Amino acid sequence: MSATLAIARAQVAVTLRERITLFWFLVFPLFLLALMTLIFSNVGEDGGDMTFEITLVNLDRPSPGSADFSAGIVEALRHLGEARAGGEDPLFALHVPGEGVEPHAYLDEELAALRVGTRAAVVVIPQGFSENAARAAFSSRETVSSKLSIHTSGGRTSSDLAASILDQVFATVDREILTRLGLFDASRSVVLARREIGTQGREFRYVDFLLPGVVLMGFLTAGLFSVPGTILFGREQRILRTYWVTPLDVPRYFAGFALGHAALCALQFGCVSLLGRFAFGARVDLLQPVPLLYLVLAAATSLAIGFLIAAVARTGNAGMAIANIINMPMMFLGGLFFPIGELPPALRAAMLVNPVTYLADGLRASTGAEAGVLPPIATVAVPLAWIALCLGVAVFRLRLDEKR
Amino acid sequence: MGEMAVRVANLQKSYGEIRAVDRISFAVPVARVFTLLGPNGAGKTTTLEILEGIRDADQGEIEVFGKRVRRIDRAAKERMGVLLQEGNFEPYLRVKEVLRLFSAFFRSPRSLSDVLREVSLEEKENAFVKTLSGGQRQRLALGVALINNPDLVFLDEPTTGLDPQARRNIWSLVTGLTESGKTVILTTHYMEEAEALSNVVCIMDHGRIIAEGSPRELAAQLGRETLIEFVAPPGREPSRESLGPTCKAVHRDGDLVVVETEDLVATLARLLAWSGTAESALAGMTVRQPNLEDVFLSMTGRRLRE
Repeated sequence: MSATLAIARAQVAVTLRERITLFWFLVFPLFLLALMTLIFSNVGEDGGDMTFEITLVNLDRPSPGSADFSAGIVEALRHLGEARAGGEDPLFALHVPGEGVEPHAYLDEELAALRVGTRAAVVVIPQGFSENAARAAFSSRETVSSKLSIHTSGGRTSSDLAASILDQVFATVDREILTRLGLFDASRSVVLARREIGTQGREFRYVDFLLPGVVLMGFLTAGLFSVPGTILFGREQRILRTYWVTPLDVPRYFAGFALGHAALCALQFGCVSLLGRFAFGARVDLLQPVPLLYLVLAAATSLAIGFLIAAVARTGNAGMAIANIINMPMMFLGGLFFPIGELPPALRAAMLVNPVTYLADGLRASTGAEAGVLPPIATVAVPLAWIALCLGVAVFRLRLDEKR
Repeated sequence: MGEMAVRVANLQKSYGEIRAVDRISFAVPVARVFTLLGPNGAGKTTTLEILEGIRDADQGEIEVFGKRVRRIDRAAKERMGVLLQEGNFEPYLRVKEVLRLFSAFFRSPRSLSDVLREVSLEEKENAFVKTLSGGQRQRLALGVALINNPDLVFLDEPTTGLDPQARRNIWSLVTGLTESGKTVILTTHYMEEAEALSNVVCIMDHGRIIAEGSPRELAAQLGRETLIEFVAPPGREPSRESLGPTCKAVHRDGDLVVVETEDLVATLARLLAWSGTAESALAGMTVRQPNLEDVFLSMTGRRLRE
């Protein structure tokens, strides 16, 4: 067996045998995937509560004196948001932007809420809706139509039910308006455009959004904790020193170390994927060339960040402290578990320098689980820049032996 | 002079202002145990680490098996085995896995079973490193040092912290190495270890070699035949004159009174007579030959373990 393979094999064996490492490396990602999927996939689906969380964003601003068709829709939804006779819960819990809230920013936040399952549907009345509706009603041209957008989350029962009810509501409103005008014509009715968020023609669920995030979290944890831990404690406890008196050289040691890290990431990926697929019915397919490329990039980035921590920390405990400090912001400002909506400028800046943001966006976009919001080239270039930066610092600063 | 495994000339190494190794020169004969003896901080480990390839010397020449090297390279390391002072292994690897790991670093490793047998760890081959006793860990470290069947073995303080039994086990292993033709370079601050194992002893202090030779030769340099030691309170020791002309010196080392003599019987008779008149019990009296500790003491005025 070559030295590189021997180092990799030893690293895998040690990681899998050490209970604390094993917990954080394997058990925790599986636990997190299970917990978050169970909590967030079933929001609004508990059966007993038939109140659907609906968001309405009205962007229509009809000119004074002209017909305000959007008002009828707003009124209908408000009515459904009131308690029903007999003390039953209302059908809809309606969320609308508050006074002074910028509606487009509000819409982004509500779409994010829809994605994680805290909203069943988001209805958008577009700008110029009333004008288009009036033109559609009185025009002889069939091409003129007004559109309402209903955003739903594909594959989620609560979202599908809410959308069906909304379809009926809008059809009734539409018919009533046209009937009052004596103009009812099925071909001129309002067009309802149903949009399933984050999909490209397939049905995706929250677990499909979460799974890539948990895989990336696992890689990040391995890189931030396991890599500097092995190097720094190995240096302190003079384990590494026993290597340097043999013909083993530093490049072969690092090759073995990287191979071991890759093997551990692959193992972690396999376990998380199997749990997601067979326990929670995840449909997202990460075993395609482009997603696999992002996974390799993520493993390499986490390895490089681990080397950077090992290079700047003087002791193993200091290394673990640094890893702890940067771990949470990297994960939660990287959109691993929840979509990142509108953030304050400072947090947004942190998000944009975070390589995890780019990796998560690129990975999800490559699987079709979500439309990417970042330029595809950036999702590769930024992590590569991080790898180059971290390795550059590590080459100059990383010590593999005790200084005397 | 016979074949030399290692030759060192004018080796020098400093850490900042501190000169850890100060232009030392020595030669290590093949199939012998060569010991660097000295107190902590004498420069033994630094010297060894330079020869092991962990550190670079500031100055000096090194020759390994007749080949002059600027620094210890991979080819030299293929012929070397090293037991490091305070070296460690992954606690969650098994004994056999540690040996397999290190065997992968060499071109022609020995079979694991041979090594396990040599260091008497066959029964522990599946035990995790963390469960081994101190003596078993040192035997594992020795097994790792021997995994490539080296011609030159470095043992840096191999018995520090071990109990007497474990220490003697290591000694017997070291003795076996030279019998099979291997050269051993040993560092220790235990003078009895150096005396038991060494063919050649180099005594170091403050980075310099202050004496070199076989243990017997070094002790003979003192010119003392026998030492009588006993415990007595200050001011209650005999004068040299009272013990007769064969007594060479009487001095004190803490509570211990040391009497140096050329004629043990004559001096002992006078000492017993003195104890009767002086009402001294000669508590804990021992008679011994001079050792390396005495050599170090006579040259530096300090004990090895001070």
